[in-house]
Amino acid sequence: MTSSRPTGEWDGTGFAHEAFVFGTDEELVDRVVPFADEGLSRGEPVLVVAGERVRTLLGEALGSDVARLATFTAAEEWWRGGHRTLHAYDRDIRALRKSVPSWRLAAEPVWLAGEDGREWSRFEAVSNRCYADMPYYSLCLHDRQRLPTPVLDAVARTHPLTWGGDAPIAAGAYDDPQLFIRSARPQWYERPDRASVGAVVTPKDARQMVCAWVPDEWRPRADEIVLATHELVTNSLRVSPAAELASWIDGHSLVVEVSDHGPGLSDETLGYVPPADELNGGRGMWLTWSLADDAAVASNPAGTGIRLYFHR
Amino acid sequence: MPCRDAGRRSVAGVTALRRLEAPTGLRSGDHVFWTFASASDFSAAVLPFLDEGRRLGEQLLLTGASRPALIDALESLPQRDEMLASGQLEVRSVTEIVDPARGLEPVEQVQSVRSEVEAALGRGRTGLRVAADVTALARRGPDERRQLHVYERLADAMTATVALTAMCLFDTSLGDEVLGPIAVLHPDQHHGEREPLGYLSGRGPWLSLRGELDAGLADAVLRALVDVARDSPGEVVLDLADLQFLDVAGARMLATAASLLAEIGVDVRLVRARRLVGYCLELFNLADGQAVPT
Repeated sequence: MTSSRPTGEWDGTGFAHEAFVFGTDEELVDRVVPFADEGLSRGEPVLVVAGERVRTLLGEALGSDVARLATFTAAEEWWRGGHRTLHAYDRDIRALRKSVPSWRLAAEPVWLAGEDGREWSRFEAVSNRCYADMPYYSLCLHDRQRLPTPVLDAVARTHPLTWGGDAPIAAGAYDDPQLFIRSARPQWYERPDRASVGAVVTPKDARQMVCAWVPDEWRPRADEIVLATHELVTNSLRVSPAAELASWIDGHSLVVEVSDHGPGLSDETLGYVPPADELNGGRGMWLTWSLADDAAVASNPAGTGIRLYFHR
Repeated sequence: MPCRDAGRRSVAGVTALRRLEAPTGLRSGDHVFWTFASASDFSAAVLPFLDEGRRLGEQLLLTGASRPALIDALESLPQRDEMLASGQLEVRSVTEIVDPARGLEPVEQVQSVRSEVEAALGRGRTGLRVAADVTALARRGPDERRQLHVYERLADAMTATVALTAMCLFDTSLGDEVLGPIAVLHPDQHHGEREPLGYLSGRGPWLSLRGELDAGLADAVLRALVDVARDSPGEVVLDLADLQFLDVAGARMLATAASLLAEIGVDVRLVRARRLVGYCLELFNLADGQAVPT
């Protein structure tokens, strides 16, 4: 053993992303308190965002050191849907990056326990790619008693590090972010015959067409549906003279499909990557994915199709 | 009501953007952008426009590059010669109006048109109707076009308040890059087959963007907006209440305009954005109602 540091070989220059799944109070305290202590002793900002159980345990264990934490806040209030939650988080860590060389975070995404919070695993997956240069250690805390098995499986597949007992180790179940996204999104199936279908050559045509297709039950969401579709069509028309639109109802979702004969998406994770600061950075996919409840992508040599799902 | 047919809405006190199919049906307050591709195209726009003014008892003024060519273009205008003789119809070359050595002076020029409206009313006319071929000015160069953008904005605001019906005509050969920013400064647009999407209005207490601002219109609005706002040190408020659609490219344009203007001491404040428009503004940290960060 060369190291028993709570952050292993992490040298503070890049992103380390560990999933720590705990059962007992003792397990949690034994992992997080040395992690926090090490940060405090190095003068590194230590941030803790967690649910009530974890906050109570850490509050007792850290004692007066709690006051030395850069943040010690309740995770329960953070959830505002995946995109909004990540966007707010992203602003915070960009601000941190401007002010300190490195930091560490112990975070418990308590919303993973709820049905609507499960999409968070996709953001966890993509963070491994888009935050690769961010100089912080993210210790993600997951309560085995609160989280269902499929969520714990997703946790294992989206964190490259796990706790080996006395040091962080590479997680065997870790998946490439793009593979994880592909497995998490809705299955692609053949477009039903009942779908409305039309071709468009301008974004304005697309807006009018999809607006006319929005059924009454989805009217309250028509603005979002039109804007999301518009952004996909604008992208399509950059590489293709025309785009095809289709729409149908699938259970509780309205599906809007935009397809073209272009080369497809260079990176299927972009819908989960928060916008960069510079003006020219892409934002269309982030916006589209945030407006829709879910999205599926299919690429083949003949072209690319993207389906957006909007719940009623 | 979301995703209505934007740009067609008419709200009391608000001039909505519209696509003009014919150069008629126009009244005081109308400010028209009209493109032509040939001399016959030009006559086909100007003749019905001026003839309508004749029937309404308005003072008529036609301006363009060459007076003789303009007189020829009016050959089939009913009572042309009588109106020229009586002074109801005047035809002037642009050089009589804009000193080529000084170039277009927007404030002065608008004041001069305003005086002409008063003079027309003083002569017992019901108002002034102007058809102006501005192609020559638009062709001169970027500085002159900047002045033209400023002028169009001031003229649009003035047209809303006096007995003036104005049609600005441009040769299509100027190209979209030149015509786009000029078009968006007019509430009534006839731009070939193009459907007008947006209007940057100088009417009312604030600048306002109306219609739909998407990737196709972003460059035109950027140029028009920066030109009309750059001479207002301090704060420029841009009202988005009648902007019915904004996409990522349009919001990026607003962020670009705000940052260009901030460099020369003009702070842009965006107000009254609807929810859909707010989605895109948020992506560029352009919060509604707050000073735009630079």
